[in-house]
Amino acid sequence: MSVNIKDFPGTPLSQDDLSAGKVLTTYWRPKLEYGWDAGVAISRYLEELKNGRIIGVRCSQCRRVVVPPRVVCEWCWEPIDEWVYLEDTGTVNTFSVCYIRWDASRAKEPQIPAVIEIDGASKAGFLHLLDEVDPDDVKIGMRVQAVWKPAAERVGSITDIRYFKPI
Amino acid sequence: MSLIERIEKVGDAKVWYDDIPIENEYTVGIAGERFLRTLKDRGVITGTLCPNCDLTYVPPSMYCERCFTQLDQWVEVPPTGVVETFTVLTRSLEGEPLDELQVLAVIRLEGAHGGLVHRLGEISPEEVEIGMAVEAVLKPASERQGSILDIEHFRPV
Repeated sequence: MSVNIKDFPGTPLSQDDLSAGKVLTTYWRPKLEYGWDAGVAISRYLEELKNGRIIGVRCSQCRRVVVPPRVVCEWCWEPIDEWVYLEDTGTVNTFSVCYIRWDASRAKEPQIPAVIEIDGASKAGFLHLLDEVDPDDVKIGMRVQAVWKPAAERVGSITDIRYFKPI
Repeated sequence: MSLIERIEKVGDAKVWYDDIPIENEYTVGIAGERFLRTLKDRGVITGTLCPNCDLTYVPPSMYCERCFTQLDQWVEVPPTGVVETFTVLTRSLEGEPLDELQVLAVIRLEGAHGGLVHRLGEISPEEVEIGMAVEAVLKPASERQGSILDIEHFRPV
C-alpha cells in the first residue's frame, strides 16, 4: 500500500486479517509446470557446468568466441561447431544492486546481478550474481572468479556456479 | 557430438523442467461474505432484492445491474431450482483425465435472477437435461467452511 495515501476508499485488509480468517477468501495456486527444450548448444553448456567447466563456441568465420554457446553465429549466420573450454574468471561488464527480490518483496541485503565477460570470450557475457563483496565496492571492469557448488551438488544448471567473487 | 549433427536420441536433448510459482487469494467481497456466512451458519441460500426491478439476485449483488440501485434487502431463496445449462467434464483443471465424469451446471434458484455454477450429483451425465428440477445438498453444519462448496452438489428432485 502506498505510503503517500492515508485513506483508501473501501475496507483495508492486512495479511494478518487474511491469515486469521477475518474475511472469507478463495485460494488458488495454478499448476504451471513447463519443460523447456534447451537445444543442442545449451544442453552441452549445462552438462559442462555440471562438470565444473564453462564451455563456449568459436565461430570459424568471424573468430568470435561466445558464451553461452549457440549453434549459429548471430553476426555472420555461420553454423558453429568448434567448442572451447574457458576459464571461470572474467570481468564485470555491468551490474545492478538490487534491494527488491523477484517476487517484489524487499531485501535488507541486496543481490548484485551482473553481466560477466568470461576470459577468452569476446565482449558480452552472461548474467550471474556477485557476492563476497561490499555493494559499494563493485565496479565495472572488476575482475571476478566463479565460486562453484561442490561436484556432488551440481545438477547441470547455471546455479551450479553459486556466484562470482572479486579476485 | 558436433553442433550441426542431428540429435537422434531423445535423451541427448536436455529439457529444463520447472514451475511458475503463482498463487492468489481472492476476497469474496461484501455481498459474497454475507452470502457465504449465511450459508455456513444457517444453511440457507440468500440473495439481494431490487425493489425497483422486482428481481432477486443469486448470487447476491451489491448493485442492481439494471437500474444501479444499491441493494440492501436480503432475502432467503429456496434450495431448489432448475438447470439452465450444463457441461460434462472429462478432465481436471490440470488436464488430467478424470476417473469419474463430472457434471457442472448453472442452476437458477426458484424465484431468483442469475444462477450458481455448481456440481450436479446423484445422477449420470446422460440423464442431465436443461430445465431439470434440482435441489441443493448441503454439507453437515460442522463441515461447512464458508465456501460455495458448503453446498456438496445439486441433485435431481
